[in-house]
Amino acid sequence: MKAVLKKIVLLTIASLLFFSCGNKQQQSSGKTVVVFWHSFVSSTVPALNELIARFEKEHPNIEIKAQYVPTGDALIQKLVTAIQSKSAPDISWIHSDFMEDLVKADAIYKIRDFSEGKNGISKEDMADIYPSLLQYASWRGTLYSMPMEATNLALLYNKDMFQKAGLDPNHPPRDWNELHEYAKKLTLDINGDGKNDQTGMFLPVYPAAGPLSAWMVWQWLPYLWQAGGDVITNDQSKVLYNDPAGVQALKLWQDMYNELHLSTFTSDYDVAFASRHLAMAMDGPWNLPRYNDILKNLNWAFAPLPAGPNKQATIVGGEYLAIFKQSQHPDAAWEFVKWMTKPEVQAFWAMKSGYLPIRHAVKNVPEFQEYLNKNPNFKVFVDQMEVGVAQKSIDYGGLQITRHIAEAIEKSTVGKMDVKKALDESADKSNRLLSSYSKK
Amino acid sequence: MPGKNNKAGDKLKKKGRTPYKKGDGMSALLFLSPTLVVFSTFILFPVIFSFYLSFQKWNMFSSETTFVGLDNYIRMFQSEEFWQVLKNTAIYTFGTIPLNMGFSLMVAYALNKKVIGKKFLRTAFFAPVIISPVAAAVIWRWLYDPNFGLINWFIGLFGISPINWLNDPTAAMFALIIMGVWKTFGYNMVLFSAGLQGIPETYYEAALIDGAGKWTRFWKITIPLLSPTTFFIMVMSMIGSFQVFDIVYVLTSGGPLGSTKVLVFYVYEHAFKFFEMGYASAVSYVLFAILFIFTMLQMKYMKSKVLGN
Amino acid sequence: MPGKGLKRTVKISKGIVFHLVIYALALVTLAPFIWMVLTSLKDMNEIYVYPPKWLPEKFRFENYKNAFEAAPFGRYYINSIIVSLSVTFGQLITCSMAAFAFARLRFRGSNILFYIFLGTMMIPYNVTMIPSFMMLYWLGWIDSFKALIVPGLASAFGTFLLRQFFMTIPKELEEAAYIDGASRFSVLWRIIIPLSKPALATLAIFTFMGAFNDFIWSLIVLNSDEMRTVQLGLAIFRDRYLTQWDLLMAGSVTAVLPILLVFFFAQKYFIQGITLSGLKE
Repeated sequence: MKAVLKKIVLLTIASLLFFSCGNKQQQSSGKTVVVFWHSFVSSTVPALNELIARFEKEHPNIEIKAQYVPTGDALIQKLVTAIQSKSAPDISWIHSDFMEDLVKADAIYKIRDFSEGKNGISKEDMADIYPSLLQYASWRGTLYSMPMEATNLALLYNKDMFQKAGLDPNHPPRDWNELHEYAKKLTLDINGDGKNDQTGMFLPVYPAAGPLSAWMVWQWLPYLWQAGGDVITNDQSKVLYNDPAGVQALKLWQDMYNELHLSTFTSDYDVAFASRHLAMAMDGPWNLPRYNDILKNLNWAFAPLPAGPNKQATIVGGEYLAIFKQSQHPDAAWEFVKWMTKPEVQAFWAMKSGYLPIRHAVKNVPEFQEYLNKNPNFKVFVDQMEVGVAQKSIDYGGLQITRHIAEAIEKSTVGKMDVKKALDESADKSNRLLSSYSKK
Repeated sequence: MPGKNNKAGDKLKKKGRTPYKKGDGMSALLFLSPTLVVFSTFILFPVIFSFYLSFQKWNMFSSETTFVGLDNYIRMFQSEEFWQVLKNTAIYTFGTIPLNMGFSLMVAYALNKKVIGKKFLRTAFFAPVIISPVAAAVIWRWLYDPNFGLINWFIGLFGISPINWLNDPTAAMFALIIMGVWKTFGYNMVLFSAGLQGIPETYYEAALIDGAGKWTRFWKITIPLLSPTTFFIMVMSMIGSFQVFDIVYVLTSGGPLGSTKVLVFYVYEHAFKFFEMGYASAVSYVLFAILFIFTMLQMKYMKSKVLGN
Repeated sequence: MPGKGLKRTVKISKGIVFHLVIYALALVTLAPFIWMVLTSLKDMNEIYVYPPKWLPEKFRFENYKNAFEAAPFGRYYINSIIVSLSVTFGQLITCSMAAFAFARLRFRGSNILFYIFLGTMMIPYNVTMIPSFMMLYWLGWIDSFKALIVPGLASAFGTFLLRQFFMTIPKELEEAAYIDGASRFSVLWRIIIPLSKPALATLAIFTFMGAFNDFIWSLIVLNSDEMRTVQLGLAIFRDRYLTQWDLLMAGSVTAVLPILLVFFFAQKYFIQGITLSGLKE
C-alpha cells in the first residue's frame, strides 16, 4: 500500500508540474499572427500548408496560424464557447446554417465593409465570383463571409453496367425521364434469388440521410430547382417547396425509391458503387482523389446532373471564411481572405486540394486549363458551377425549415405517404414558424 | 432451513448504522471538503445555471439572454414531438434495463466461478464499452444490413424472414436497444463483479455448512448482499438510458420518421442545431424531474424491501 | 462407484458446455472489436467492399505508420495519459473520502447533500457544458491542463459508487479499531480502502476510460495544438464529406490500447477474493 501511495503522490506532483507549465506565452516574432480555424481532413493538410507558405512568402509581415477544429457540430460548439470567452479566432470557416446567429450576436464583420473599402476587391472581380456562392455567403442581402472553395453535386455512373444493360456508356441520362428509365433498367436480379444484386440509382434517404438529414435535403434540392421550384419566396414570407414543382420533384424520388427497392439498399453508396452493386449516384468532387485510387478496375465517370422539366441545376456548397470582431488584426485577416479570391491562388488551391474554384476567371489560368484537360471528371464539376444554385440563406429559422423538408421526404419515401400531403404538412409547419418570426 | 440460511442477511440488518460518535459532523466536513469545493464550482453551479436558463431565451452566440417566464415549458408541453420523444425514451429505457441488468449479472456471476481464461473473457465483455461509438456504428450498420447482414442471416436459420432493421420505424427501436445492451452491459458486469468480490466468503461457507443449495445461496446471500451494488446499477442505468445519446446519434440519428429520437437527442438538437439553449434547458429539467422521481421511488423500495430499515 | 463416475462425467460435460457457451458469447461481443482491428489493416480498396470481407488480403501495417504521421500522436498520447492519470488518482482520493463521509459518518444534511449529488447526474451534459466552460474562463484556465483535470476531481458518480460499496463492508472491524483509539482517517485508510479494492479498481477503470475518451470537453477548453489529446487527434481523419477509414480505424485501435492495459492491470483486484480473516462471529 505504501508503494502505491508513493506512486500516487509522485504522479500527482509530476502532473501538477506539467500542467502548470501549460500556460505558455505566445511567442512574438514581430509578425502579425492571424489565427485561422478550419476542418480540413488530414489528407488535405499538406495542401493547406503549401497554400499558407505561399501566402506568407508574399506577405512577410503576416503569419497564418492554421488550427484544426473538428468539423460540424464540434466547430459550432467551439465557436460558441470561444465567442463567449472572447477567444475567437481571427478567421474561421463558418456555414450559412449559423450565420444568422453569428450576425445577431454581432460576432463577425460584414465582409462588405472590407471588400468595398480601400483595400477592397474591384467590382469586376466581385462579379467574376459565382453569384450562387456570394448569395450563400450573405445574410439578408449583406455579404458577411467569403467563399474559400466550392463544391457541387454531379452524377457518378458505372459505364460497364450501362454497356451490359444495352445503354450507351457515353450517353449518361440527360433528363429526368432518362434518369428514371435508366435507373429501372440498371436494377437487376442477376442470380435470380429474388433480391436485386445491382441497383440502378441511389437516393440518400434514411438511414443514409446524414446527421439530422441535412445530406438528404442537400441532394433533393437540385430536383426542386430543376423542376422550376424554390424553397421560399424572395421576401421570405412563405415557403414554396410544396408547389407543383416540389410535388413533381418528390414524386420522382418516391417512384424511384419504391421501384428500385431502396428501402433495403445499403446506406454506404460509395462502397456499393466500388463493389459493383450500384450503377448511379449523386456525389461530390471531394471523393475524386479516392475514386481515382479505389475505382481503378472500374469503368466509371461523372456526368452533369440530369436536367429537370424546367432547367438544368445543381446545388453548390463550399466553405466560407468569416472575420471575427474579436480579432486584433482584422486587416491582416482580410488580406488573407482577399488573397484567397485571386484567380492564380484559386487555381493553385483547386489543383492541390481537389475543391472547385470560386470564380470563372480561374479557367483562364493556363496550368488550370491543362489540369482540366487531364481530369475530365473534375471538369464536369467545374463546368457545372455555371448552373449551380445555392441553398438560399433563410433569414430566420432556416434549420427548422430544412428539417421540415427532410420530414416530407422521409414521410413520402420511408413512410409511403402521398407526396402532396407530406409536403403540405411540412409547409404548414414552416409557414407557421415564419409567421411567428414576422410577428416579433 | 430457510431461517438458518437467513443468518447472513440478519447479521447485516442487525448492524444498522455505526453508533453516533462525537465529532462526526466536523470529520464529515473535512472528508467532504475537497469534493465539495470542486463539486460546487464545476458541477453544481452549471446545473443551477441551466435551471436559470430554462426561463430564458438564449442563442448562445450572444452575450445576452431574455427572460421568457414559463414559455419554454409551455411550448414543450404543447409540442407533439416532445411527447413522442418522451415515449421513445421510455421504450428504450424499459427495453434496455432488464436485458442489460439480467445479462450483466449473469455474466459477472458466471465469471466469479472457476472459468478458464477469466481475464480474457472479462476483457472481451468489456471491449464494447471502450470502442468508439463511431467505429461501433459502422459494424452494427453492416450487421443490420437487410441483404447481407449477419443478424438477418442468423434469424433466417430459425425461419424468420429478413427484417429491415434500420428502415422500419418499429424495428429501428429494437435495433437500437440491442446495440445499447451490447454497448453497455460490460460496464455493469464490471460493477457486479466488484460487488460479488466484496461479499465475504465466510457467508457462503456458513451457508454451505448449513447445507444450502446453489440457488438458495444465490437468492438468500448473493442477491441481498449485492443489493447496494444493484441499487447503484439500477439508478445509474436509469440515468444512462434516459440520457442515451451517442449510439442514437451514430446509428439512427433519431429516425426513421422520428421513431428513435430520444430526449437527449432532442435536447442536443435544440441546443446545437436550432440554438435554443433556453428550450433545451427546460427539456433537461423535465428529464431531471422524471429521473429524480424514479430514483426516489427506487430508494424507498430498496430501503423498505431489502435493507429492511 | 459407476454412479460416481457418471456424476463426474456429467459435471465435466456441463463444464465443457458452459465454457463453449461463454466463449461463444464473448466472441459475439468481441466481434466488432476484431472487425475494427482487421479493418485497420486493410487497404482502402478492401474497405470499399460490399458485402464486407473480414480478412484483409495483405496486412497493411503501414496504416498505423500513416496514422501516426498525420499528426503528432506521440505528443497527444502523453497529454491524454497525463490528464487521465491525474483525474483517476485524484478521483480515487476525493471520492473515497466523500464516500466514507456519506457511508459511515452521521451529520446533519447528509441525506439532502447526497440527493443533490445524485441530482446533478440527471441533467444532460449538453446544457451544463457552456456554464462549466464559463466558470473556467472566469478562472482563466482555458487552454491549460488544469481545465481538464481539476473539474474531474469531484465526481458524483464516483462518490455514489464507493458509498454503495463501503456500505456493504461489515462494521465489526471498524468498531474494534475505534475502540483501539484509531482516527477516522486511519479507519478509512487501513480498513475500508484495503477491503474495497474491487470497487476502487472499478472506479479507476471507469474514470480513466472517461477521461481518456473525452472529446467534447477537451475540444472546447483546449486551443493549442501541442496540448491536444488523442481523441481530438483522431477527429482529423473525418471531415464534413470524407472519412479516412483506414487511418481512423488504425488510430482508434491504438486509442483503445491504454484503456485495455488499465483494465488488465485493474482486474487483478477482482480476482483476489476478499477474505475477512478478522471477521469471526
